[in-house]
Amino acid sequence: MSWQTGAREATPLLGGYIPVAISFGMVAVQAGFSVWHTILISTLIYAGASQFLFVAMVAAGAPWSLVVVMTLLINARHVVYGPSIAPWLPKSRWWPFLSHGLTDQIFALALSRLPQLPAGQRLGWYSGAMLLAWFSWVAGTAAGAIAGEELSRHWPLLGEIMPFALPALFLVLLAPRFTSRSWSIALGCTIGVAMVLTLYGFTNASIPLAAASGALCFYLTTLHARAGGRLDG
Amino acid sequence: MDNGFWFALLLVSVGTLCMRLLPLLWMQRHLLKQKRKGGLAAIPGWLSVLGPLMIAAMLGVSLVPATVGWSAWLATLLGALAALMAWLWTKSLGWPVLAGVSIYGLAILLARLMTGG
Repeated sequence: MSWQTGAREATPLLGGYIPVAISFGMVAVQAGFSVWHTILISTLIYAGASQFLFVAMVAAGAPWSLVVVMTLLINARHVVYGPSIAPWLPKSRWWPFLSHGLTDQIFALALSRLPQLPAGQRLGWYSGAMLLAWFSWVAGTAAGAIAGEELSRHWPLLGEIMPFALPALFLVLLAPRFTSRSWSIALGCTIGVAMVLTLYGFTNASIPLAAASGALCFYLTTLHARAGGRLDG
Repeated sequence: MDNGFWFALLLVSVGTLCMRLLPLLWMQRHLLKQKRKGGLAAIPGWLSVLGPLMIAAMLGVSLVPATVGWSAWLATLLGALAALMAWLWTKSLGWPVLAGVSIYGLAILLARLMTGG
């Protein structure tokens, strides 16, 4: 069954999702949201960084209009995810629901796995992966909102260690892409810029900015290689 | 919570969903049109470059430890190396992640024991 394969292959995501979702549940309750409001935010918005910003701004008393604009601005990077995987996804009336689960991590997984799957299995695979990730995020939020302090007291290191599943997964998804000099330079540049921006506190802006600088590197090195080829020829 | 909360939650939820859904539907229709015209149904070149770079950016962000220090950086390096080695060996998704998290966790624990933290 293709949805089972999708769910199985999305399992490594849980190591990153659940600890962060537990943290979100704790932070939201501490900021004054009820358990149900907190779960509702995770169910409906379902976008990690912007949810943290949403509760932080509300707790700080920011105007609602500003909360909406800033949260949507952080999520703007999602506009490139759908078109990037569109060639491997069939038309379906379920997309208005299924696209709700197109997070950073599901996109990364889908972009790498969908081209390798037979056409008939892709929608099932995506549905399985997306649903598992979504349920784990909502369940993690509920656990954090209800018993977050208890959980972090019992397993203080777990929340620190398990999120390493995400960089490990991204690394494995990217490793096969180091296929040429241009790609290696562009990917290396993107990773480096994202790390520097994150270290300086620009975490939210770092994904689009780092990707843009990597794209610039890619086109410059490709142009350079073409010019070199013409000169040699 | 007042009405403002519900209004903001609704706008952010619908806005985020639209950002995920509409470009996907638009590209699917665009590809279908290309196919009907007898052309090669392919996404624009810049988009096929941007996709892997977005993953690279996510990797860069997630590699930075929550608490920056020599032990966290060393654990990150060892965990990443373990994940890469496991990938070279198995070419799978699950085992490299398990290897990376295990080595990272072990390094963090050892560092805690050594520093008495």
